[in-house]
Amino acid sequence: MSIKLPKNQKKVLEAASSTKQKTFDQISSATKLKPEYVSGASYSLEERGLISITTDSHDELLLTDEGHHYSKNSLPEMRLYEAVQRLGDLETEFDLSQAFDQSNLDKNEINVALSNFVRKNYGTIDQGKIVASRDIDIQLDPEQAALDSISQNLKVEDSITKRLESRGLVKVNQSTVRSIILTKEGMAVLQKGVKVSQSVTNLTPQMLSKGNWEHIEYTAYNVEAETAPYIGGRVHILRDTAEKVKDTLVSMGFQEMEGPHADSEFWINDCLFMPQDHPARTHWDQFALSVPPAQNLPSDLIKKVQKAHIDGVGPDGDGYHSPWSENVALGVDLRGHTTSLSMRYLSGQSIGTIEPPQRFFSVEKVYRNDTLDPTHLLEFFQIEGWVMAENLSVRDLMGTFTEFYRRFGITNLKFKPHYNPYTEPSFEIFGEHPRTGALIEIGNSGLFREEVLHPLGVSCDVMAWGLALERLLMLMYGFEDIRDVHGTLCDLQLLRSTEVPY
Amino acid sequence: MPVVSLHPDILRNMVGIDVSDETLKQDLFNLGLEFDGEDEDGNFQLEFAPDRLDRLSVEGVARSLRYHYGKERGVFIPPLNPPTWSICIQHPISHNRPYVTGAIARGIKLDDSILKSLIQLQEKLHDTIGRNRAKGSIGIHDLSMIKSTETPDGMSSIYYKGTPPSEPSFVPLGLQEELTPMQVLESHPTGKKYKQLVEEDRQYPAFFDELGLFSFPPVINGARTEVTVDTRDLFIEMTGSDQWTIDKMLNIICYALDSHGATLESINISSPDASIQKPDFSSDTKHIDHSRVEQILGISLTSNDILDSIERSGLDATLLTPPYQQDDSLEKSQYKVTIPPYRVDVLHPIDIIDDIGRAYGFYKLQPRYPDVATIGGRTPNSNLERAIRQALIGTGFEDLLNFNLINEDENFSKMRLKDGKEEAYGNYEPVTILEPYSAEYTIIRTWVLPSLLMVLENNTHRAYPQNLMEIGFIAHTDHTQDNRIKEKNAIAATIAHSQASYEEAKSKLQVICQRFNKKIETLPISHPTFIEGRAASIIIDGKSKGILGEIHPEVLILHGIEVPVSAFELSLDSFI
Repeated sequence: MSIKLPKNQKKVLEAASSTKQKTFDQISSATKLKPEYVSGASYSLEERGLISITTDSHDELLLTDEGHHYSKNSLPEMRLYEAVQRLGDLETEFDLSQAFDQSNLDKNEINVALSNFVRKNYGTIDQGKIVASRDIDIQLDPEQAALDSISQNLKVEDSITKRLESRGLVKVNQSTVRSIILTKEGMAVLQKGVKVSQSVTNLTPQMLSKGNWEHIEYTAYNVEAETAPYIGGRVHILRDTAEKVKDTLVSMGFQEMEGPHADSEFWINDCLFMPQDHPARTHWDQFALSVPPAQNLPSDLIKKVQKAHIDGVGPDGDGYHSPWSENVALGVDLRGHTTSLSMRYLSGQSIGTIEPPQRFFSVEKVYRNDTLDPTHLLEFFQIEGWVMAENLSVRDLMGTFTEFYRRFGITNLKFKPHYNPYTEPSFEIFGEHPRTGALIEIGNSGLFREEVLHPLGVSCDVMAWGLALERLLMLMYGFEDIRDVHGTLCDLQLLRSTEVPY
Repeated sequence: MPVVSLHPDILRNMVGIDVSDETLKQDLFNLGLEFDGEDEDGNFQLEFAPDRLDRLSVEGVARSLRYHYGKERGVFIPPLNPPTWSICIQHPISHNRPYVTGAIARGIKLDDSILKSLIQLQEKLHDTIGRNRAKGSIGIHDLSMIKSTETPDGMSSIYYKGTPPSEPSFVPLGLQEELTPMQVLESHPTGKKYKQLVEEDRQYPAFFDELGLFSFPPVINGARTEVTVDTRDLFIEMTGSDQWTIDKMLNIICYALDSHGATLESINISSPDASIQKPDFSSDTKHIDHSRVEQILGISLTSNDILDSIERSGLDATLLTPPYQQDDSLEKSQYKVTIPPYRVDVLHPIDIIDDIGRAYGFYKLQPRYPDVATIGGRTPNSNLERAIRQALIGTGFEDLLNFNLINEDENFSKMRLKDGKEEAYGNYEPVTILEPYSAEYTIIRTWVLPSLLMVLENNTHRAYPQNLMEIGFIAHTDHTQDNRIKEKNAIAATIAHSQASYEEAKSKLQVICQRFNKKIETLPISHPTFIEGRAASIIIDGKSKGILGEIHPEVLILHGIEVPVSAFELSLDSFI
């Protein structure tokens, strides 16, 4: 039984031979089909197993414009040598300028001539003087000979071709020739005869409106074929993680905070009961900014904070034995943690006085003056959260964080007693890695000290914790170098191919 | 965080208890010391937060463990013999280091490991509470090498006084030749390191005996009084800018020496107006409420539980029950707690409650979800930002997240802007970092588009179209603000492929504005970043809010981008 093929495929199949490879060009002239149609039809026929396609690539050497020029006029270094010869004896010193005058080389050629003259040991050039060597016969120059051969389509040694390529005198063109030959199946089909199919590729609006869609046969596609990749919009993986953290905290009753990235050291450090000579307050750790001191800070609050630093809080309280100055407090820095926002909210400066109970959070950028490496960035997102209530205990703190991390698949938390200047008790939180099971540090937490809360006018308990969002991201999705994701060195391909988490 | 290096065998030996490495690690973890590997000699590297400075060496860690295991209880004060030596303070005196303290330790038997441990302790105290020797520094000397002066009070005396930089000469530790203090600062590596601590002083601080200068704090000791394993009697001096700090450092050193069997002896510190004795081993007291301990730990405790935990923290306590309290209730009871002189971290009663928690075992506490009802929610800005991001992603943009820090070259020059000079979107006076760590990050970006162009630059090998967006932070100097900086969020987008055009950018911007019910106008404008005649100012509600156009070819060339790019940027508040 004969088979049906689209018109172009039938023509190509009939033009192919079972014994001799025919190129696309040959088929094109035989069938009067445009080359692109020959190519399209041939691949379809190959998919049907009726022909096979052979691809033959080879390199073709071509002279560049400069190469052509030297092929005609000989290489500049040779012309320089000949110019020196014309001036007088070999092995004799002549002024370079004289040699140039004699040579007719243009400005570009002079540079080429000088470097190659020396490279090829045509002689020496030193302090404006040139000497032509007698040990050389420039008529045997292999590069010149190769140029001439290439211009006549003759074969040339690879090493010389490379040299000429690096001088920009030849270029290598890769040319590909495809040819087809009938397969056994193709011959069998041809013997049985081929009819032209009336199939169409595209369903058109006209077919629908005229109603002739019913009588039409549709060309079968190769439904298994790969398609061109589609690049669509998607949310950034780190942003997506931030959104998940926000959703989680909102569902646990936390309200979001916002506030300045650049803030006075007062809010960033002093309110947190960080002594002014604390090692983390040097410029090497935090970004001080070149702006005048901050203004309009609440002066009564400054006095209370200063008093806490110097005298401590409560009848048994002691202060630090460190200097404290308002000038230091008014310096403007990029925040090293978003606890500056917590201080602003707790003090009533952000949204007015707040009464317990409260839960607040933020997922915002913080800045650390540090080296950039696969796990550390100069700026990263900090997850910050706190709970304000009467009579909180460390068990409440442990319970809250156990619940939070559980939502991200991190379980079996361990609380290592820790020290922060602003919390007591304090705990570093460790948890089991969701995939490897290893014990890893996942956050820092504690109950704010009275030296922090009292100046802010807070008389109940506040427990707080912090964690880098990037750390959560790396744990959950296994990124190894955070720079591939966050920042201008990011890899679009990686971002495009990251699995969507949910 | 500080790391203390100690050998588990030495630790076990000093604690006097035989426990496995694993138990040791677990018990140390619960005290707040995290095992961070071993070195090639089998020393544990223990990382801990810098509050318990008495744990900076094996002696202090062993003491904490002895308390933890109940082998020792309560406050221990080492015996102190009366002084036979004096440090006489003589004017002129160093301006930066006016305070001095000291002690003598006799009959110590040193070996290599004890000597190493003492040096470690000394260096770590310098690094932490000593604030890199600015606030306090330690010198330990072989007492037998010091030739004292007999003073009328019968004391063997040495002198602490200021000396001119250029005299006298002495042989610094580790050298053979004599140098003046000035030469030490110029040529000795330790001298160079601590130069800035003394160079402003007209009188350099120094200790003298009959034979001359033997210590040049905080820089270096003299070679003459160097401590070796054969040294039996130690002379310890400390100087600094704060008396309390150096007294506490001295106490920590004295406790470590006591644990190696040294007999401690006071030193007289005498100045023309007064004479006092150091070290000061007096202890502090604080009061804690029984109810507050129960509340912080979240469990009920007996007074014995609390007293036991206090004693196993190396503290002493007595229960104070108000006389009118009739029943067994401890609700109004307090504990009067005595704190030993080596503790520097107890500022408030809460610090004692933390000690009780560690001794009791925080790890024994069961987590509970607090019975506190609150209502959660996001800020309006956060909701708006998310809505706009989703709308932009819906029109095909890939969301990005770049750094807010950038440099002038990327922010201005590569965008064809002259920093802050001519008026143009993005061309504002930037906020500069005073001491940047890296030349790549020196300012806060004044607009977002430079970051997106950098991403395009770094991804020319990736498939196009590259239609990128970012909603990000920008800032510029504004002295009217409280923090002197105008902070904003901006929406930026770039369209990069072979057919990218002004029209495509505008159509996407328009559809976003439409969805947020904002009418926009686009008025022609000149902007150096964009092709002349193909740039527009984005006007929303009659105000200029941003910029839209086709990126200038020179900007593309500067970024190595080989396709046309159209772009827009406008401030997020346009949509409020």
